[in-house]
Amino acid sequence: MKKKAWSVLLLTICMAVIVSACGGGGKNNQANGSEGNDTASGGEKVTVKLMHLWPEGVSAGQNKIVNQIIKEYQDENPNVTIKQEVLDNEQYKNKLKVLSASNELPDVGVTWAAGFMQPYVEGNLFTPLDDLLNGELKDKFVAGTTEAYAVNGKTYALPIEFNIAPIYYNKDLFEKNGLSVPTTYEEFKNVVTTLSAKGIAPIALGNKDRWTGSLWYMYLADRIAGQKTLADTISGSASFTDPGLVQAAQEVQWLVDNNAFIKGFNGQSNEEAKSEFLNEKAAMYLMGSWDIPNFTTNEEIPKEFRDKVGFFKFPTVDGGKGDINSWVGGPGVGLFVAENSKVKDEAKKFVEYFVTKWGEQSVTDAGVIPATKVDAENMDLPQLYKDLFAEMNQASSVTLFADVQMPAKAAETHLNMIQALFGKAVTPQEFAAEHDKALAK
Amino acid sequence: MDKVLSNKKMIALYVLPSLLLILTIVYIPIVLTGYYGLNEWNGIGSMKFIGLENYANLMKDGKFWDSAWHSLLLALFSGLSLIIYLMISMVLAARIKGANLFRKIYLIPMLLSSVAIAQLWLRIYNPSNGILNSVLQSIGVDNPPAWLAEPSLVLLALFIPILWQYAGFYILIYYAALKNIPTSLDEAARIDGATSWQIAWKIKFPLIMETVKVTIVLAVVGSLKYFDLIFVMTDGGPNGSSEVMASYMYHTAFRAYDFGYGSATAFFLLVICLVVTWVIRWLTRSKDTIQYS
Amino acid sequence: MTGNVELQTSVNSGGWRLLGRIGYSIMYIVLIIVAIFQLFPLVWLMFFSLKNNQEVFNLPPLSLPMHPRWENYSKVWNAGNIDVYFLNSLWITVVATVLTVVLGSLVTYAITRMKWKGSSFVLGLFMVAMMIPVHSTLIPLFSFFNKVGLTDHPLSLVLSYVAFNMPITIMILLGFYYALPREVEEAAIIDGCSVNRMFFRIVLPMTGSVVATTAIINMIYNWNEFIFVNTFISSDSYKTLTVGVQNFVGQYTTDWGAIGATLMISILPILIMFLFLSDRIVEGIAAGSVKG
Repeated sequence: MKKKAWSVLLLTICMAVIVSACGGGGKNNQANGSEGNDTASGGEKVTVKLMHLWPEGVSAGQNKIVNQIIKEYQDENPNVTIKQEVLDNEQYKNKLKVLSASNELPDVGVTWAAGFMQPYVEGNLFTPLDDLLNGELKDKFVAGTTEAYAVNGKTYALPIEFNIAPIYYNKDLFEKNGLSVPTTYEEFKNVVTTLSAKGIAPIALGNKDRWTGSLWYMYLADRIAGQKTLADTISGSASFTDPGLVQAAQEVQWLVDNNAFIKGFNGQSNEEAKSEFLNEKAAMYLMGSWDIPNFTTNEEIPKEFRDKVGFFKFPTVDGGKGDINSWVGGPGVGLFVAENSKVKDEAKKFVEYFVTKWGEQSVTDAGVIPATKVDAENMDLPQLYKDLFAEMNQASSVTLFADVQMPAKAAETHLNMIQALFGKAVTPQEFAAEHDKALAK
Repeated sequence: MDKVLSNKKMIALYVLPSLLLILTIVYIPIVLTGYYGLNEWNGIGSMKFIGLENYANLMKDGKFWDSAWHSLLLALFSGLSLIIYLMISMVLAARIKGANLFRKIYLIPMLLSSVAIAQLWLRIYNPSNGILNSVLQSIGVDNPPAWLAEPSLVLLALFIPILWQYAGFYILIYYAALKNIPTSLDEAARIDGATSWQIAWKIKFPLIMETVKVTIVLAVVGSLKYFDLIFVMTDGGPNGSSEVMASYMYHTAFRAYDFGYGSATAFFLLVICLVVTWVIRWLTRSKDTIQYS
Repeated sequence: MTGNVELQTSVNSGGWRLLGRIGYSIMYIVLIIVAIFQLFPLVWLMFFSLKNNQEVFNLPPLSLPMHPRWENYSKVWNAGNIDVYFLNSLWITVVATVLTVVLGSLVTYAITRMKWKGSSFVLGLFMVAMMIPVHSTLIPLFSFFNKVGLTDHPLSLVLSYVAFNMPITIMILLGFYYALPREVEEAAIIDGCSVNRMFFRIVLPMTGSVVATTAIINMIYNWNEFIFVNTFISSDSYKTLTVGVQNFVGQYTTDWGAIGATLMISILPILIMFLFLSDRIVEGIAAGSVKG
């Protein structure tokens, strides 16, 4: 018995060693194999590493386009191999930070704008892409989108998405309760109180994620204090104690007091809140244009529901300085090229190719609104898309999401303060003071 | 006998491989974390040495102390929950019918990854259609709370799944420890007319005392650096009322790009663990190890 | 096997028959209620894996949707590389677990049985090693592996798993070794047995139940680990099953049903290994067969 136990253990260890040896060996073979192919195809063999966040499983549309672009690019440039690594959002951000600390960024990667990318630019990790912007890609981008990726006059990433945030609403619920689309904030308040009185949650909000609540605050600030004041305070050049901004914070708390948001919104994720809207338990949902596929083409959601969804612009406030065509939104992610990439030229060429090809395809295949100009009029798109494109074209301004615009540390404070404001753990005055403190640093 | 057991070569052979591994893989990060803590560093650019400034700031950082308090509360609850796990293990190890099956079933939640457990409990706590509130409403509670959105309830609501998640872990250890007790002791005591309770308390418990001490340390240290479920279920919210030390460290280092301060937090967390462990070992010290006689 | 025979042995010896019966019934009722609680997550996960997002959020957790979505499973199964991930998970888990348990046993034996200065200091070193939060190790560890050329190499995972699970393994073993009777070993030494022979022939078999316990714990940890995998590994050919979950977490949406299916698939191997090893806990005493 004892002997047997001993030999079993020994056997396991041996097997373990063999298996691990095989694992290591496999790597070598594979590496040799691919290198062999490259040399065979002629030209100087180059591998460009691409890290992105569109997994095949859930972002099937984007993933398909990325793979198609890679395939076409490799066909056109037989000496180039694009090696991709896919991670989910949270893990992607973490890995980017860990890689940066060792200066080991992939040749091409995905980044968010402004505050998120600033440390990378200051740490000299991203390379300027102005030459691409002034070359073939000149005038291809929607006005104002590349600026979000500019630091000190140089552009460090090229945007591939562009979003604005409308208020989606359930037409059916509005009709049944005798409500029409509000154009002024007074009418909007009336919508809220009417729905609330009838036991329908007026607004789906998942404020565990915090940036979701930030959208509400930003719109109120924009409509009351005006776009310029809002933009100035976010950039740190004006104070959050501006009476208009404080009033915006008060209005947020008025909404909370009047049960405008779903129950337990501070503990629910955006995903959970969205389901309340999809489920027709909540009548309105303020969210980015990236959610349009869910209300148009997504077959998993019942067609009867999709047909009920419309959107409206955030209403104007009486006596406020904002106008109704001013939006909160901005470019989502963009592509960067690493400064210390050994194949920088190839990487830049690939980014140029990627951005050009991404444009139209991303609308039709993935429901993404690209940052490059597309001719939406002549495309076969659901009406909701066309309406939104039309709104984009007549937008008077688009204010970048505050948590994206602010430096990371201040953005954290902003997001935490948003949750506290909605949870009534701070007064509008404290809310303003904390912001000023964080942005002054 | 001492000669055989104090052979330096054998001791080195037994200890050094693991020790070297630990020193490279775990101690390099520990030492570097301590060092980063002395710098102003966003994790990307160059570091600026600022001495103990991060630690000084940490000492007056109310948010950090809140999170430390939450971690300590969790440690306390985890420690107390061991009593229940020990009782269940005693029952299971008492060679009752079906113990084998029960034991296997009890350990199942432990196999699930935190992702699954977090999703399960989010569905349980959901304020509008969660299991918990549905049950409460059906027994006449008018307006059951939104568990994860109430600053006063959220910690308690999180502790329950955390303790439940680890039940299997401790039951497994206790069960194995109890099974390691020679059956002859048990039988002898029964012949002498001892009741099950007496056997459990007077004979078995002292014999697994060393294991119990170890589990106390494991539970407390594990709680002090706990992260997983809290991160997924509330992300430290609302308004930081469920923030614990590890999540606070994560938020400062990875979200706010303050890697220096985050590292200082992590290093201080290690110091707290060390102190608490030392206190536990001191409180549970025994003059000599209990032996079978 | 041996365990079953023992289970059948008589339970009650005193004259408290009736009271005993009532006590037993209550005990069993409690045991069964607890069992239902513990089984619940597995059943829930099964139902979860057959829903789409709308059903996940809107239907009560313990209800089956009108049309069970078995396609979640085919979605998961057909998403590329699942076979590679599976094999990687399997061998990395097995190798790391075996290494941790064997190395940990050696250290514990040296600390509890051998006589040398500094044994308590070394034990302290191992204990401190479990007090560092995992996220603060990522940047230093990545740069270390990068310097020694081990990034994107499965060895970086094996080494990290062994090193980070070693302290907890040693701690658990420690409690058992302290309580282990020394008579057999003393007799063996008098008979002229070497340390190696004694450890591998006598001590290791005697600690079968705790070895199985620590093996189970290590296996579960290694199997479910994903932070190190994501950080150190970039090639698909070395990633593990936990990556499968990520495949369904998108930039703006998450496919919960598919995640449920992935979790369901990935729990099966560990469940089988667990059921197998779990019986070794009972066998341990039979193999040890120590009588005071």
